[in-house]
Amino acid sequence: MDKKTSMLSKKTARLRGWIQAAATLLTNIHIPNLFKGKIYQGKAKTVCVPGLNCYSCPAATGACPIGAFQAVVGSSKFKFSYYITGFFILLGVTFGRFICGFLCPFGWFQDLLHKIPGKKFSTAGLKPLRYLKYVILIVFVILLPMLVTNSVGMGDPFFCKYICPQGVLEGAIPLSLGNAAIRSALGKLFSFKCLILIAVVVLSILFYRPFCKWICPLGAIYSLFNKVSLLSIKVENSKCVGCNKCAKVCKMDVDVRKTPDHSECIRCGACIKACPANAIHYQFMGKKYK
Amino acid sequence: MKTQKTILTISTLCLALLLTACSGKKNSETENTQNTTAAPDMEQSQDASGVTLDDLYQQENQIFADHADAWNKAFGMVNKSTADPSGNYADFLSDTVESNKDSFTEDEYKTLTDDIETIRKIEEQIAEMENKNMSSGTSEQTNDSGEESPFKNFSGTDFDGNSVDESLFSGNAVTVVNFWFTGCKPCVAELSKLNELNDTIREMGGEVIGINTETFDGNEAAIKDAAAILESQGAAYRNLSIDSDSDAGKYAADIMAFPTTILVDRNGNIVGEPLLGGIDNQDNYDALMKQIQSVIDADSTNK
Repeated sequence: MDKKTSMLSKKTARLRGWIQAAATLLTNIHIPNLFKGKIYQGKAKTVCVPGLNCYSCPAATGACPIGAFQAVVGSSKFKFSYYITGFFILLGVTFGRFICGFLCPFGWFQDLLHKIPGKKFSTAGLKPLRYLKYVILIVFVILLPMLVTNSVGMGDPFFCKYICPQGVLEGAIPLSLGNAAIRSALGKLFSFKCLILIAVVVLSILFYRPFCKWICPLGAIYSLFNKVSLLSIKVENSKCVGCNKCAKVCKMDVDVRKTPDHSECIRCGACIKACPANAIHYQFMGKKYK
Repeated sequence: MKTQKTILTISTLCLALLLTACSGKKNSETENTQNTTAAPDMEQSQDASGVTLDDLYQQENQIFADHADAWNKAFGMVNKSTADPSGNYADFLSDTVESNKDSFTEDEYKTLTDDIETIRKIEEQIAEMENKNMSSGTSEQTNDSGEESPFKNFSGTDFDGNSVDESLFSGNAVTVVNFWFTGCKPCVAELSKLNELNDTIREMGGEVIGINTETFDGNEAAIKDAAAILESQGAAYRNLSIDSDSDAGKYAADIMAFPTTILVDRNGNIVGEPLLGGIDNQDNYDALMKQIQSVIDADSTNK
């Protein structure tokens, strides 16, 4: 037991809930604004946070990278958002989908929902749906905001406007509760997006992280970097006893021994915790964190 | 195992907290709705000294509690049919005590009359506060920035460099003030409609004014961009650059959704609730037009 807890990778994986809570708090630091129905609009708002965290959340510290990307692509002044793309590459190459597992508030939200007891269903048979998130990334985040524009070249942030349930949860709901004028302006679009949010909530209780697996364009971007990211997971074949426990506990349907850098792996560390032989660990730039 | 347990406990705690936070918010919502429909928000009815209506009512109740014996006796003698809801509360109490003067001991009578005087003062404060809220209670955001309308002391510059002040409002029965910014698609979408509205209401004694939040503090580049967009949409009505630290600038900084359109009367007071969303939507246009008409009607009856 002593030996196990001294393993840094296992410790990290065990502390995941705490790290998620701390990350959510740090990226939503202006808590009093939640009750005022006002958005913080200071300098920090020009910087993106790593996870899916709505700019319009009254408490938000920074901007959502997916929202910022669409805002720039859809503006009349710019054709493409190079700054946000650079931000994606930097974070993707450094952490990959570790951000989904440890830093994203909406990932944490789904994790918590999944803890609600009841019948749970496997998503192993629904693997083709994984590709949907790439379609959403290309169509709703890049193409539509870029191409469907008005006479002066302005596009809508299609993903934020028509899909994103995090926008309703963090933005529309607290803003309308705290601000009567916004409450009076809620209409059909709000009802439609509430339905999406409710669907995601229900699905999250039944399945593990359905939004991350099938919908999230930010997860789709980070997944592209998972194979090359500096932070990765390493399985030591010499230590492996072949018990297959790691593949069984993986809620993202990844077999870590075959594909340790699978694009769906969110680096949650369930396999690290489960391994009886301590054969799995995180590594950063080749340095092992046992 | 132990860590797992702690993590589980923590997450349940977090969930519980989340849920309580939610219900807390819901409470504040119901409070809010009540307040907007009935009386203005407690927080907003605070006057400079920080005393709220609620505090004053509490003070009155405390007086009754302090001399409960005497007051219970007095309340027992109240003739319910004489209670006049719109009358002065202190007079009402005093009448009750005076007409039953013989039933009280001297001490009791003195306590009661002293208390009535204190209550009279509190009632005056309450009346004053309620009046203030009536005059400034037309919109939530006005209240936030104080009792005075942010357009009482107004100054700005139009895009041609001409200065304007609050006489901008006094010259018209109603001024439609549209807050927008250049990068806001729904704002740009309604510009041509706002120009039409301006043409329509000029004949009725009204005017449309645009305030672009990017052009604050005479930002030359932003003014140029805004002017180009206005021209492309065929919008010729006046747009103003104001100072971000002026009252109107602070009012604009509190706006959380664009476009927001408000109506200002001849005296620089905001009338009615702000309209969120573009008037290129026919429902919004009709609602705004109705409000404009009512402000103009009110203006002509006041003359």
